[in-house]
Amino acid sequence: MPPPDFNEANFLEGRRRKSASSSFRPIVFFLVPLFSVLLDIFLPRFVEPTRTLEFPLLITIYFSLMKRQPLAGIIIGAVIGLMQDSLSQQPLGMFGIVKTLVGFFAASVSLRFDVNNPALRFMLCAFFFLFHQFLYWVMVRALLGQIINVNGFDELARALLNSALALPLFLLLDKMRDKEA
Amino acid sequence: MDGLLGRYRNLSVLVIVIMAQLVLLAVQVKNNQDVRLIRVWAVTAITPLARVLEGIRANTFGLAGEYWDLLEVRSRNQSMKSDLDRLKLENQYLKAELATAKRIEAMAGFVQRSPNKTIGARIIGTGAGMNSKVVFIDRGSTAGVLKGMAVITPDGIVGKVTASYPTGSQVMLITDPTFACGVLSDKSRIHGTARGQGNNQILIDYIQNEQTVLVGEIFYTSGDDRIFPKGLPVGPVRVARQGKLFKEIYVSPAAFDRGLEEVLVVLEGVHLPIPDLASQSSSSAEAKLMPPPEADAAAAPVDASPRPASGQGFATDADRLLQRYRSLGEQQGVSYGNGGRLPNFNAPAVPRTSAPKASAVAPSPNITPPSTPRAPNP
Amino acid sequence: MFHLPRRSMREDFPDRLRFLRDESKFAQGKIAFLQYLSFAVLIFLAGGYWNLQIRNEELYSLKAERNRIKSLPIPAPRGKILDRDKRVIVDNHSSFSVLLSRESLKEEHLKPIADGLGLDYDELLAQLKRHRSRPKYQAMIIKEELTPAEIAFVESHRDPDTYPELELIHTERRVYPQNGFGAHLIGYVGEVSDSELNLADFAKYEQGDLVGKTGIERQYNDILTGIDGQRQVLVDNKGNERRILGLKPAVPGQSIELTIDLDIQAVMELAMDGRRGGAVALDPRNGEVLAMVSRPAFDLARLSSRDRNRQWRDIFTNPDKPLLNRAIQAQLAPGSTFKPIVALAALEGGEVTNDTNFNCGGGLNFFGRYFHCHNKRGHGATTLKKALAQSCDVYFYNVGNRIGIDQIARYAEVSGFGSRTGIDLPAEAEGTLPSSKWKVRTLREKWYGGDTVSVAIGQGYLTATPIQLAHAIGGLSIGGIWHTPHLLRNGNAPLKPARKTDLNLENVRLVIDGMCEVVNGWGTAANSRIPGVEMCGKTGTAQTASNEYQKARNLRLKDNAWFVAFAPRINPEIAVAVLFEEGEHGNLAGTIARDVVKAFFDKKSRRELSQSKSGDLTASLDSAPSPRSLN
Repeated sequence: MPPPDFNEANFLEGRRRKSASSSFRPIVFFLVPLFSVLLDIFLPRFVEPTRTLEFPLLITIYFSLMKRQPLAGIIIGAVIGLMQDSLSQQPLGMFGIVKTLVGFFAASVSLRFDVNNPALRFMLCAFFFLFHQFLYWVMVRALLGQIINVNGFDELARALLNSALALPLFLLLDKMRDKEA
Repeated sequence: MDGLLGRYRNLSVLVIVIMAQLVLLAVQVKNNQDVRLIRVWAVTAITPLARVLEGIRANTFGLAGEYWDLLEVRSRNQSMKSDLDRLKLENQYLKAELATAKRIEAMAGFVQRSPNKTIGARIIGTGAGMNSKVVFIDRGSTAGVLKGMAVITPDGIVGKVTASYPTGSQVMLITDPTFACGVLSDKSRIHGTARGQGNNQILIDYIQNEQTVLVGEIFYTSGDDRIFPKGLPVGPVRVARQGKLFKEIYVSPAAFDRGLEEVLVVLEGVHLPIPDLASQSSSSAEAKLMPPPEADAAAAPVDASPRPASGQGFATDADRLLQRYRSLGEQQGVSYGNGGRLPNFNAPAVPRTSAPKASAVAPSPNITPPSTPRAPNP
Repeated sequence: MFHLPRRSMREDFPDRLRFLRDESKFAQGKIAFLQYLSFAVLIFLAGGYWNLQIRNEELYSLKAERNRIKSLPIPAPRGKILDRDKRVIVDNHSSFSVLLSRESLKEEHLKPIADGLGLDYDELLAQLKRHRSRPKYQAMIIKEELTPAEIAFVESHRDPDTYPELELIHTERRVYPQNGFGAHLIGYVGEVSDSELNLADFAKYEQGDLVGKTGIERQYNDILTGIDGQRQVLVDNKGNERRILGLKPAVPGQSIELTIDLDIQAVMELAMDGRRGGAVALDPRNGEVLAMVSRPAFDLARLSSRDRNRQWRDIFTNPDKPLLNRAIQAQLAPGSTFKPIVALAALEGGEVTNDTNFNCGGGLNFFGRYFHCHNKRGHGATTLKKALAQSCDVYFYNVGNRIGIDQIARYAEVSGFGSRTGIDLPAEAEGTLPSSKWKVRTLREKWYGGDTVSVAIGQGYLTATPIQLAHAIGGLSIGGIWHTPHLLRNGNAPLKPARKTDLNLENVRLVIDGMCEVVNGWGTAANSRIPGVEMCGKTGTAQTASNEYQKARNLRLKDNAWFVAFAPRINPEIAVAVLFEEGEHGNLAGTIARDVVKAFFDKKSRRELSQSKSGDLTASLDSAPSPRSLN
């Protein structure tokens, strides 16, 4: 492999800057996931279609992408997932495992992408949503022996909807970043 | 930043975290037991927030909603004056206040009227998951809400508590597919079992096809399930048709008509004595079963056979014959086995209309002592 | 920046270290590959762990879980029991039962479950204990015939959060006639007991299985019992059945047809109501039992329940012994109903002829003891016909004394006394037929002449059951052919060969003439006369204890009333024996027999009529034409 020329060095420099991990105040780390799970159970009470929105997943993806540390992704995913499990009637760990993996992969992937790019964010969200749904389906199928009826088009539509929601949501969350990091 | 080192450490942490959750899952699946602790944490963390959110919503969102409506009105009717708007807005606000006051008053009235000891609670969230028919309420075990208690509104029953945490409880709605309760129709007094269907209708099961149930008839709780006190409305019949084994009766839950916000948890049902807390095991506090309601028509076993069921229990040919000979004897004034008049088993039977009693009398185990004179001993 | 102690790609390309860390494209691919590889390993490990720990440890552990394979029994319905006209005596109806799964059972749930279903908690624990020997995945039926209230209770509590061990299934339940109709004849069904499991008959049963305990249910248990089926379903955690994995349908038990005629049975039941005793009617020409009643009776439905509640126990501890089938198990002195046998023995032996005459003065001394006649004023000069008609005791004291016990015993034995008739019902009693040998063998005492005098009037050591009497008199009435009484009509079991004795038919006719006089002449049962039917009978009024015994204890025990009959006189078609305990006088049993015989002949005339037109064989159907009655 040839040594990198100037331009490439420049490019890498630019990427390194972008790949810097964002940092948040602890209170944000505590409240935002809690709030996302809360919205998940609160909104459908009034607006039934909001059931399709997966706030906890979007929050998991966001923090994992922005922290750029797989460790953080794992912990955020596991905590949000378990919280979601606690409020549902299924055994604990189903969402936990799925979201742990989502967090890990989102954090790993974030190292190679410009996580501030809206188009990339959109695509990543859609990808991870589908990944999440698929993994969940596999888990339910393999571990609990249940069969969930899945409609591919519905899932795709939901993925796009959630990704669309993710853009403004992520921008909002960007505002909560600590500037000096 | 510490990419490369982190990668291996991360992987091991990932493995550990996933393994831990798998073990958690396995424990639950294998022992069919819940890991309550984690749920308690989560619910305890969520419920105060939810309560705040619900408080905010109830006080502002509702008003804002009305305001949106008003804006629409204004756009359609440009001649409206702005102060009229303001007045209307005020009016709306007052109306909303009044409605809330009325609702609360109605509920307070119900609480006073009803002999049940209840506690008011607000719904603060639905259960996570697609088809979940579960809600969370903001009262938990510290307020005396226990697993197995009935949740109602003055309009009708809402569900039952399936889990209680310190600051909140999980309530399974009557529309949940695993929900069931005993019901009784108001007109025909037929006992059945109401079952949730996962949609917004409730199926009333185990009612014979021969029974008549009319659309519009209201089903009430029967108390048979030992959860709900007898006499609470469930809902009016929307559909009633012949089914394969049993009638297919669908009821729309009356409690859900006006949207659910405030509910009442029945701490003590009408015919329930004060729960003996000392005898309850502290580990799994559950509400005690209510005592059975006063017996009425529900005593006969349910006949699941598709053939038309006979009116008085199940009888074989033997019973029918015995009944026939008994009434024949009564018609002829014969006391079997006691001598005197000789029975004529081939005599024409008196038509049923003239002696309805004879064929309808319940079989008694003993014949009354003989009154006919006996032939003297030779 | 960092130096990894592990061997990695970096050592191969030390000068590229920087680029690697800065994600040069080459390394990027490798790292991604490594990531996915480790992920695959992880999945593999997790899968293996799951399989090892959760799936394979115990095949059935999955069934215990909320959403696993559930295996539900399909209890096979027992066969129906029909009468001779294929009318249903014991039916089945479909009902709901509640199952208790023992795998996922939590001890603390038992009490509220028992409370909710109205079960006895201790009995439920005992039932669980009885089921311990069965595999855990086999659920246990804890209550049958659920009422709407109980269904509501089960349905509202079987969700995964409450008592998931409850399960509702469809079962065929037995419908028995109510109020003890035919209870002894039919018999009850119950869980097989430990002692029964040791019997060869019940070798193929397990703890908790239902088997016939008495009567026809016990006798023909193997025919009536079907083979239980099983349904394996995949259930999700909501309790919905997702898929049926396996279905083994139940094979219902076979129905059996009895020789019982419900018309006669019904009349006999009504006639015996409110009394204590037993009665049986049979066809002497082939031994078919037409009706059999025992009183007091018990509620079959209550006794056949798995729920052994207080009412269940009460039946067993009732001092009136309602479970005793008095028609085949009451061993009592037959009294004067034994006299026709004595008369036959005397005639056959030649010691007595039609003209033999004894004078009755109200009593007579034998062996230093005074024996009363029931008629204190005496019957005067008495011949055989008069002695039978008026039941003169003194005549038979003399006859007995003249012919001796062994002559009586010989003919009584031929008639079936002292041994089981062989009816197809369990636990038939054999009664006692005394003879000189018998007394030496069992009592180690010499036979005294006084013993014979008592036996000659059906008292003393002699005891018999109603079925024995009906069997004996029936066989006598057709000239000395005794068919084994039986209840099964369509069974494969060949008819047992009849017992025959060469009797002098002239002697038989003399006895029959005497019995005919009992009812149709100046006899003791003139109140039982049926116009148009020549019924022959014999009353019996039997002491339950000797006069001396009663006097010594200052007791006044009521006598048992007996009546045996057959009809018509020529070519008899029905023989009846009635025991009316504490009925005081035989003719009060006679009226019971009268109604039974009347029912038989009224039905016969209906049947003859219906052969020309089709009509119902049962009395007084509203629309049926009414045939002419016999009176």
